[in-house]
Parts: sequence; C-alpha cells; structure tokens
Amino acid sequence: MGRLGARSAAAADVSTSRVGERIIYWTWVPLLVIWIASFLLFPGFIHPVSPRASAEEVAAFYRQDLSRVRYSMILFNWFGVALIPLVLLIAERMRAMAHRTPVLRYCVIGVAGGAPIVFLTSTVFWLLAAFRPDRSPDLTLLTNDLAWITFTCGVPFLVALFLFLALAIAWDDQVEPVFPRWVGRFNVAMALAVAPAGFAGLARSGMFAWDGVVSFWVKNIAFGLWVVVMAIALRPAMRHERHPIETTT
Amino acid sequence: MKSESGRLRGAKRELWLAWYVTVVFYGMYSVVFFGLSRTQPPGRPWLDPDQTVAWFADRHWGLLIGFGVIFVLGGFSAVALALITHSIRRMSVSPVFAYSYLILYAIAAIPGFMYICVAMTAGVMRPNRAPIAAQWLYDLGFLSFVGTMGVFLIGSLIWMIAVLIDDNRVFPKWFGYLNLVNALTEVVIAPSWIFQRGVLAYNGAIGFWVNVPVFGLYTGVFIYLLRDFIQREDFGTGPLPAPADVWRRARPAVEAVGA
Repeated sequence: MGRLGARSAAAADVSTSRVGERIIYWTWVPLLVIWIASFLLFPGFIHPVSPRASAEEVAAFYRQDLSRVRYSMILFNWFGVALIPLVLLIAERMRAMAHRTPVLRYCVIGVAGGAPIVFLTSTVFWLLAAFRPDRSPDLTLLTNDLAWITFTCGVPFLVALFLFLALAIAWDDQVEPVFPRWVGRFNVAMALAVAPAGFAGLARSGMFAWDGVVSFWVKNIAFGLWVVVMAIALRPAMRHERHPIETTT
Repeated sequence: MKSESGRLRGAKRELWLAWYVTVVFYGMYSVVFFGLSRTQPPGRPWLDPDQTVAWFADRHWGLLIGFGVIFVLGGFSAVALALITHSIRRMSVSPVFAYSYLILYAIAAIPGFMYICVAMTAGVMRPNRAPIAAQWLYDLGFLSFVGTMGVFLIGSLIWMIAVLIDDNRVFPKWFGYLNLVNALTEVVIAPSWIFQRGVLAYNGAIGFWVNVPVFGLYTGVFIYLLRDFIQREDFGTGPLPAPADVWRRARPAVEAVGA
C-alpha cells in the first residue's frame, strides 16, 4: 500500500476493481476467436448435420470425423461458459443506470448462466455421441438429436437477456446514459433474430429447420455480432459514473 | 389507484412491469402445459414403448408449438425471480437470502422447463424413432419436470426463513409457513422417481393432484402479495408502511405516540 503514495485506500480499491474489470473485458477477443475456431473445427457446422439424415448416416458422420467432433466440443465446453463473466460485467455496469430498483439487473443476473448451460449441455450430448461411435445407430441418432435441439432451440435465455438489456437501456433516464440508445434497439433486433430458432422442432427442412438459414446461420451470426457490438459499447460504458439522481423518498 | 398505463410511467414502473410480466408468464405457462401440449396432467408412467410413440403422435403439433413458445419465452421466468429477489433485499435480512433465492431459481429453469422441452421435441419430431428411445424421452420429460425437487425445496426454505425473521413486514408471517407447505410438496414428490403406478407415481394423487394445486395456490398467493408489496414500497430501507387490510395482524409501522 505504501508504494501507492498519496493515493487513498479507497482509490486503490477502485483501481483494483477497474483492473479486474479490464481483464474480464479483454477476454472477449480470445473468446470470440476460440468460439469461431471451435465452430469451424466442428465438422457438422459448416454443412450442418441434417435433421433428415437417417440413423445410419448420423452414425457414419461420427465415425468419419471423430477427432474433430471431440476436439471442437472439448474446446467449446471449456470456453462456452466464459460468457458468464462478460454478461456479469454488463450487469455490473447496470448499477450506473438511472433505475430506482435493481430489478432489471437481477433479471440479467438471473439469465446470465442460462445460455452457457445450454452450450455446455449440447457439448455433453455431442461428446457422448462421439464417445462410442460403434454404438447402436438409433442411440447415436437420439443423442445427436438432443445435442442439436438443445443447441438450436435453447434460446430462451438469450431472448430474455437481450430484451432485459433493451429495456434497461431505454429506461436509463439520464443526460449521459450508460449505453447509447441504439444499443437498446440493437438488442431488440438481436432478440428477434434468435427467437425463431426456438421453433426449429417444427420443421425438418427449410429455413426454420435446425440446419436452415434462420435457425442456424441467422441465430449464430446474431449471437457473434451481439458479442462484438456489446464489447464495443461496453468500453466507454466502463468509464461511466452514475450521476446522483433524486429518490422518491 | 393509478391506471395501468400510469403505473408503467410512474416511479414504480420497473416493479409494476415485472409484476405484469410475472402474471402473463404464469398464464402462458399454464396455457402451454395444460392446453397446448397437454403434458399436465402428466402422461401415464406405465405406458409401454409402443404406447409412448402413439402418445407423441397424438400431441404432435401441440407439443412442438407449445414447447416452441417456451423455448422462446421461458427466460422470462427470471422476471418473477428478480422481483422476489428485490423484495427479499427490502427485508431486514442478510442479502445472502436474496442472492441464494435468485441463483437457486435461476438454476431451476434447466430441470424446470429446458429438459422437458428438449425431450418432448426430440420425441415428437421423429415419429419413426425406435419405440424404446421414445419411451426414454417420455420418461426424461416427465421425470425432470415433475421431479425438479432440490432447487424448489431449498429455494422455498430460504424464502420461508427470510419472511419469518424479517422485521420490515415485507410479507405476512403466514406466507412463511405457506413456503413450508410448498417445500413439503418437493419432499413427497420424491417417490415419483421410484414408483411407476399408484398414488406416488408422477401422475398420481400426490404427485399431481396434491402438488400442482398447492403450487398453483402458492403462486397465486405470492403474485397477490407482490402486488401488495409494490403498492406499499416507499423506496426506503426501513419497515414498509402498514397494509390497508387487517388480515395480517401486523404491528403498526411506527411506534404509537403516547402508548
């Protein structure tokens, strides 16, 4: 502490807090690289495994590309959950918003773990399908279905997160809001982009099937775009201090 | 009483919006499970594999559309949790109770609706799946949904203790004991993991006909009490103003002068 000279202990605490937040903030760059790498490494993503494939075709897929399935999903299992600190960094910034209650921040914390648990569960099913490629094709098909449905349809926590953030930003009534208003509108757009994937079970072919344009490409690109845009918007927000606002007491 | 639109523009708009979303969410949940997907009351646990294939076929679109709705909107379950977490923070108890409640119920979303959504969607989207796999999905869906025990058990007990030791009178003390009743339903549901028929099975007299009405009553009561909490909220830190009603036998909010 002595080396800090004239700086007070309180200032040092703030500084330490900011250093920690900066460390978490800059994880978004390697994380995005790792997520894209695991996406490209998984052999069933560039040409998504079709929901119309037979049990034998699905079993053959796991036998052919066994190593890539395993490596990509171990990578995604390790780092998919690293979304949680980034979302909590946003939740922490929400303290500076001009809200009268922490309800919207609690909403964000309440869904912060949701999408990562969905990612994690889908990797478990993919790795399980790859664990014994000589298993009965019917069981491999079942496990493959569970992985794809979990991964594709499991958007409720993302939809809710994006809309909670949109509302929190819209209701941040102060001269210099924590996030600019367009970030709120962007979150509404991203919620609309990922929502149709929830209905992927309804279609075995076409744009809404789990290998279709809407349920696969639009949803996953929207999520990647959300990470980039929120990271860009977070940078100035991390320097934001809340201006005192009057209370209603 | 303010008009509805006034409530959403006033100082308490965050609380009122959370309350309305809670009401709509539980309404939607009931419609999906009882109406669209017809997964409540639960299916019969003694169906053989071929019968489960027929069960899925009978509910094809209802399951896909109903659980599609939950796949999109299920995350809004967090709104009720956030409002309740805020109400516990408003009590004179440690924040540990509030944050424990939030995390316990946030986790509850996974066995509480994600597993049944995934299992039923997988079961219904391939009508020609091996019957034994269809039965496996049927069991996964119902057992995970009905047998979501620990998170609700501990969550209810955490809320119970907070209500009972709170001095700010955020909730009436009797609601603490109603939490205990809800917690006990999570105890008596445990045999549904073991018995395939009878009162203890997941569609039995205890598993469904006692537990679900208790949960319905409990949910209706806490939604009503949250409304009461929002009306009395004064954004302070001390005791809430006394409620207008008399049924809770509350002490007055301030010491009576000249008592």
